[in-house]
Amino acid sequence: MQFVLRRLGFYLVAFWVSVTLNFLLPRFMPGDPISRMMSQSQGRMTPEQVVQMQALFGLDDRPILQQYIGYWQSIFTGEMGVSISRFPSPVSEVIASQIGWTILLGATALLIAVVIGNLLGILAAWRRGGALDSILPPFLVFIGSFPYFWLAMGALYLFGVILGWFPLRHAFSAGATPSFSPEFIGDVAMHLVMPVTTIVLVSIGGWMLAMRNTMITTTSEDYVVMAEAKGLTANRIMLRYAARNATLPAVTNFGMAIGFVVGGALLTEVVFAYPGLGFQLLSAVTALDYPLMQGIFLTITGAVLVANFIVDIVYVRLDPRVRVS
Amino acid sequence: MSATDPSEVVILAAADMPEKEPRAASPRRRARPEGLVRSLLRNRKAFAGLIILAGFILLALLAPVIAPGDPSIITGQGAQAPSAEHLFGTTPKGQDVLALTLWGSRSSLLVGFVVGLAATAVALLAGLTSAFFGRAIDNGLSLITNVFLLLPGLPLLVILAAFLPPGLGTVMLVLTITGWAGGARVLRSQALSIRGTDFVAAAIVTGEKSLRIMFREILPNMASIVMITLLGVVIFAIGAQAGLEFLGLGDPSVVSWGTNLYWASNDGALMSGFWWAFVPSGAAIAFVAFALALINYGVDEVSNPRLRSARRRPFGTGTEVAR
Amino acid sequence: MAHRRFKTKARALAALAVAGGLALAGCAGGTTGSAELDGTQLLTIPREDKSTFSANFNPFSPNAMPMTQQAIYEPMFVYNPADGSTIPWLATDWVSSEDGMGVTFTLRDGVQWSDGEPMTAEDVAFSFELQKELLGGFEYLESVTADGAEVTFTYNTPFSPGLFEIGEQVIIPKHIWEGIADPANETNPKPVGSGPYTEVTNLQAQSYSLLRNPNYWQPDKQKIEGIQMLAFAGNDPANLATINGETDWADQFIPDIENAFVAKDPENREFWFPSVDAMIHLQLNTTKAPFDDADARRAISMAIDREAVTSVAMQGYTHPADCTGLSDSYDTWRSAEVVESCEWTTRDVAGANALLDEAGYPLGADGERTLPDGSPFEFDISVGSASSDWLSVANIISQNLAEIGVTATVNAPDWAVVVAGYEDGSFDSGIVWSNNAPTPFQYFRGVMSTETVVPVGEQTFQNYHRFGLPAADELLARFAASGDEAEQEAVMDQLQEVYAENAPIVPLFPGPRWGSYNTTRFTGFPNEDNPYAPLSTRSTTTVLVLTTLEPVVSE
Repeated sequence: MQFVLRRLGFYLVAFWVSVTLNFLLPRFMPGDPISRMMSQSQGRMTPEQVVQMQALFGLDDRPILQQYIGYWQSIFTGEMGVSISRFPSPVSEVIASQIGWTILLGATALLIAVVIGNLLGILAAWRRGGALDSILPPFLVFIGSFPYFWLAMGALYLFGVILGWFPLRHAFSAGATPSFSPEFIGDVAMHLVMPVTTIVLVSIGGWMLAMRNTMITTTSEDYVVMAEAKGLTANRIMLRYAARNATLPAVTNFGMAIGFVVGGALLTEVVFAYPGLGFQLLSAVTALDYPLMQGIFLTITGAVLVANFIVDIVYVRLDPRVRVS
Repeated sequence: MSATDPSEVVILAAADMPEKEPRAASPRRRARPEGLVRSLLRNRKAFAGLIILAGFILLALLAPVIAPGDPSIITGQGAQAPSAEHLFGTTPKGQDVLALTLWGSRSSLLVGFVVGLAATAVALLAGLTSAFFGRAIDNGLSLITNVFLLLPGLPLLVILAAFLPPGLGTVMLVLTITGWAGGARVLRSQALSIRGTDFVAAAIVTGEKSLRIMFREILPNMASIVMITLLGVVIFAIGAQAGLEFLGLGDPSVVSWGTNLYWASNDGALMSGFWWAFVPSGAAIAFVAFALALINYGVDEVSNPRLRSARRRPFGTGTEVAR
Repeated sequence: MAHRRFKTKARALAALAVAGGLALAGCAGGTTGSAELDGTQLLTIPREDKSTFSANFNPFSPNAMPMTQQAIYEPMFVYNPADGSTIPWLATDWVSSEDGMGVTFTLRDGVQWSDGEPMTAEDVAFSFELQKELLGGFEYLESVTADGAEVTFTYNTPFSPGLFEIGEQVIIPKHIWEGIADPANETNPKPVGSGPYTEVTNLQAQSYSLLRNPNYWQPDKQKIEGIQMLAFAGNDPANLATINGETDWADQFIPDIENAFVAKDPENREFWFPSVDAMIHLQLNTTKAPFDDADARRAISMAIDREAVTSVAMQGYTHPADCTGLSDSYDTWRSAEVVESCEWTTRDVAGANALLDEAGYPLGADGERTLPDGSPFEFDISVGSASSDWLSVANIISQNLAEIGVTATVNAPDWAVVVAGYEDGSFDSGIVWSNNAPTPFQYFRGVMSTETVVPVGEQTFQNYHRFGLPAADELLARFAASGDEAEQEAVMDQLQEVYAENAPIVPLFPGPRWGSYNTTRFTGFPNEDNPYAPLSTRSTTTVLVLTTLEPVVSE
């Protein structure tokens, strides 16, 4: 219990620091959003319009401290203001419209990478020196060494354009209406294949290697030798004794990774035109859309902290030693 | 950390091992760095990695000799397939791809290693200080480390890169700021576990000065994990630099692997089928990252004898103890 | 054996996963593209600048969804820069007053809004009222009076170019908008407009459709069933979809379009990039030496290899500018004399060197020039990093200037930083656009009128290079005060002469208006042989194309 309270305290402090940083960072950036819009229009916006638009968007010029307090107020009321680059859509609407897809893509990819990666790691450790152990880890690490966008674009080109096996873009076929029908779910699944596969390919090597190394260290522990000596089956020892302890570090990493799923997968969204918060954040940053930027940052920070906190609690249940330390 | 960044997972996973087994993970005798390097050279994987890496570094240094002149001069000859004159072909702007790749290695490797060294140095300092100077400082530094870990890396990178003046310095600064926290956590836990060992306790009792203990007792025993951290950050830096530049947030006037890919994409190389403008830089990044990963593999095996692919009997086969 | 059991379990699991995947794939249904064409297909258009769509169809918002001002709302007439014609639209006729103090429009009979209400002159008057209130502009407009089917605009100062601004303003329904409490913040998710495609259907983050307006005033011109917009995060994925034949009409930048796009299906695919967008320049900050010296400006211009800039950096999509600085949309105003007699837009390295030598910028032994006060002749060229084609332009210019001993360094941060530097006058030089209204009036006013010059440090949104000539002011005032075509032409000729003499800014190339199309599913697109509109999906002229297209019906 004390452990949980200490962690909670830490997370509150971390939240405050993150929120303050999220507030300060955009204000260090030079330029203003309307002038940037002007540069994008390349002469189609008239100079007279710019002046009026500054008033229209209600750009904030209160003193910084007031803005800071107002920012905290908006966090508690949930009113994150109106986006500038998508004026006049409210920030919460913009985020809400895409967060579902972000989580779908990120969580699916993460779950597959974690589950398969860890299973492969266990298998590789089990058959030390065997075919699986010698070939697969280096191979997967090699695949994971390629820059993600390079792999993604290559895969898109090969499987989407040349072979035509998978759709090239978006979360579902244009014109389809979202529903829970098997057709729509199948459509979404088909559109998920390439984005998820590329993310899994790039990250699975890391999970596998980590699990493998941890397993190997764990299997040399005394209690495993004892279990062997007692005559338990290899399968049982593998899964019920060694693997359970070896998954502890994986749980921590998984927790961190889950939080960041909300941040979206920027490069995936760019290459596969998949709707998501990652690219939304990038375009908010380049358009100097302070309200939207702050809204997305807040969402990401909140999700990461909550995920970590939950993982910490789960970890305490899994590993009693932590309570004592 | 994102799902597309496995290197951080490896580092973080490696961190949690020594916490539970301080004695097994670090040899009790004073492991001098020379010993580490020699055993590294004997390890097959690490040796292969070192060879590949040395090859790239050599090519990078010799780029002005092999491909003299400015590789980014725009000519009118357009994109040409690989031929005897242009071994890797030319880009749609008429630039020689081989020259661009060779010159690009200079900037990419430079940024990678500078960021690696800088971030590791910061992480080491933070970790050692944290482990050695007591609770208050430890809590404070841990808080800072954890906040940096929890800040979403890519958006932070994007913001900093978009608005600081473009240039290699900015990229290096940005990557160091986002890359040091992972290593700090690992190094701190390792330093803590070593601090709890007998020989350090002995050193404290005999009155050795704190700084001397930090740098002459604890640090040498962390050599392997420092090396793992360093190489991990270098991998991260090279990949992140490429990603930033591909998004157009780096300095487009510098020739590097990332900007080569940026221009290839913006000049429509892949769309038009000019694959030779797109493949070499990506493959180069992959090979360098892979070489570094191999070295990391080797360091892991050397420092943790259980991981060596020696003649240990595989678990689960061979002798069944009893049925 | 134990581990064998584990292996078989693992294999069974894997088989199950594959089977499940195949089943789902089967449920997914067919992909688009291979369907029979029955005439009800939707015109598919990609947008690379809006990564996701939301329900925002407010015509006063600069971030409204695509097609808001093109298919949902309409103006009184449409000006076509590709051939210089003006097509009556919601108005059938207009008469400008002789002294340039106003214009009267006659509205078309029988036009209805999409909700069935008739359009009246009151709607027009209200549109301008609301526009002025929310977005400003129209400072010259004194009053708008509605009288039956006629709307009279009265100015407070002579401004004949105002005709086009007024004519191209979209008209909104008064009976809807007068009831909206906060029109600036209204998202207008179910718009009521007079345009051909107003019914928003199936709005998703990644796409939405616009179907026929049931009460459109040109029902015979609504041949296509509707429009489908697709969202993309950037040029690359949009280009991929276009090249793959999944879109019918696209106007984003496609590199190497001949090989990448047309070559895949030359019979059906075409592109046409009339250079009718704003002229793109290298602007030199005339508040900084030596850019206040016209000779230095001309010499810099002469060193630039505009052929390389247009054929390599701009991939041959446009052509070099001439000394009038006028984009191709002003072809009817161009003075042939000025074009023939002036030479500082033609590449002449020897001439540039000679000019600089004479003007007092000596060439040092190291091949670098210095200013009269001894400081090196070097400066930065700013350009936004997001515009890779302009970045290549800047790189070529930098290479060219090295040949005359001038060191120009390309500086490419984000556009926000670059524009901030332009606006407060702290930049050295940069690649920049210009005003591009239907008459060249705003162009010349924005590059050399003293009225648009503000001191360094004060923010401005045009004439960043801060150059003004009283002679130009006089001519511009005469143009604005005249309703007579012949006089306007004469004044415009003189303006071009002043421009050519003084070289206030260095014109590089007229901006191409991108556009490509695929006739597999729709026919009737404009092109070079039939320039009834440019191929842009984001301009006033878009509605001309929408009302001309016809769907292909397969036999």
